[in-house]
Amino acid sequence: MLVPVLAIGGLGVVAVMGVVAAFVITGWIGQPVPVLGFEQTFDQPIDFPHTVHASLKQLDRVAADGQTMEGLGLDCTFCHRTVTTQANAGVPPVGFCATCHQVIGAEDNVQLTILRDAADIVGDDGAEPVNWQRVHRLPDHVRFVHEPHIRYLTANPSEVKNTTDGVTEGPSGVCSTCHGNVAAMQQVEQVESLKMGQCVDCHRDNGAPTDCAACHY
Amino acid sequence: MTTAEFGSHNWGMVVDVDKCIGCNACVIACQAENNIPLNSQDRVERARSISWIRVERYWEGDFPDAKARFIPIMCQHCENAPCEPVCPVYATYHNSEGMNVQVYNRCVGTRYCANGCPYIVRFFNYWEPVWPESLRNHLNPDVTIRSRGIMEKCSFCVHRIRRESRSARSAGVEIADGAVQTACSSACPTSALNFGNFNDPNSKVSKMKEDKRHYTLLDQFGTDPNVIYLAKIDADKKVGSGAAASHD
Repeated sequence: MLVPVLAIGGLGVVAVMGVVAAFVITGWIGQPVPVLGFEQTFDQPIDFPHTVHASLKQLDRVAADGQTMEGLGLDCTFCHRTVTTQANAGVPPVGFCATCHQVIGAEDNVQLTILRDAADIVGDDGAEPVNWQRVHRLPDHVRFVHEPHIRYLTANPSEVKNTTDGVTEGPSGVCSTCHGNVAAMQQVEQVESLKMGQCVDCHRDNGAPTDCAACHY
Repeated sequence: MTTAEFGSHNWGMVVDVDKCIGCNACVIACQAENNIPLNSQDRVERARSISWIRVERYWEGDFPDAKARFIPIMCQHCENAPCEPVCPVYATYHNSEGMNVQVYNRCVGTRYCANGCPYIVRFFNYWEPVWPESLRNHLNPDVTIRSRGIMEKCSFCVHRIRRESRSARSAGVEIADGAVQTACSSACPTSALNFGNFNDPNSKVSKMKEDKRHYTLLDQFGTDPNVIYLAKIDADKKVGSGAAASHD
């Protein structure tokens, strides 16, 4: 009578410990499994395709006129304008998108209607910024500045990992080191762990400071 | 080898006490710059207020010949810091730039360092910091907001040092003398607070600390601070009666 109960209890304890251990180990090595809402992709307010804008290749996407689309091949810095000079890469204001999209794109395109509405081209409720969701997050106690990283990798192309659709030159060619091939992503997701170990490894390999106060202050 | 390399500086401060008028502009500048929580009356009364730099007032002589004296005190960034060896998690340490660094994300809040510090310049966050709604957009995005349960102290405005060294490296030049100013030194109306690089013998602070009025606080503990004080000049005292005598 007592033995099966103990056995079930023991199994239960082992099962719970196993789940906890698996969660801790996966969180330690990579990203935690998204049971607590750590999803790496977000539903953006506009279904913005990086492929159409940044890719250099033929896309499996059909335009309104029935033709297969080709990637526009925009430089990353075309929209993320402050990446070479400042801490933040910067997301363009909606008016910047509208510069092209008040003309380009079908009038009945649902996603572009959201954009045009936000830019006050259609609708009459006033311009409102688009509430983009941040995908690559760092904790508040880390100070990451894009500028020196872009500068160093541009000067040292041998340290660049991955490629942005084959581009390896200029500021756009180096983004892939941490962000992966965004030009091939329909929806942007985080591909590198971007944990402190990864930062320190790269800093050590490249002779960058590994002093705590280089990033934590 | 690029210029403005990390670790090629020894940052320090020279405080000319003779110039200090006790205006507390440095205190306000520091509070605003470093996202320090508001010190409400309640917190001050409970001795829980946080102030990375403070201006101490003391009296010299007896009434009616008493003289008011002021001395700004912040983290002294000691070379032999008593706070560093007591930290069980290595959250505070001395880096190659002559600064005593507090790593917020390592700190577990034992408060040993605050007990070890003879200058009483380390502060513990007893509460999660809160600001009134009107101040939320005034926070400095370059400075971490310290959460409840960790120590904090003067950082020598390390974010300003990083910013200047970045732009210097970007331009391929050395950091110019005086380019890096802490919030307190830039706010000081009488230039009593001076920030600079002690490794450069031609910098303003290096020349200032050669002044015969120089002394360090609580010298007898042998902490070897990177903050050097220049003693008050008292017109009533005879020349040569010990320039550094007034600081005790």
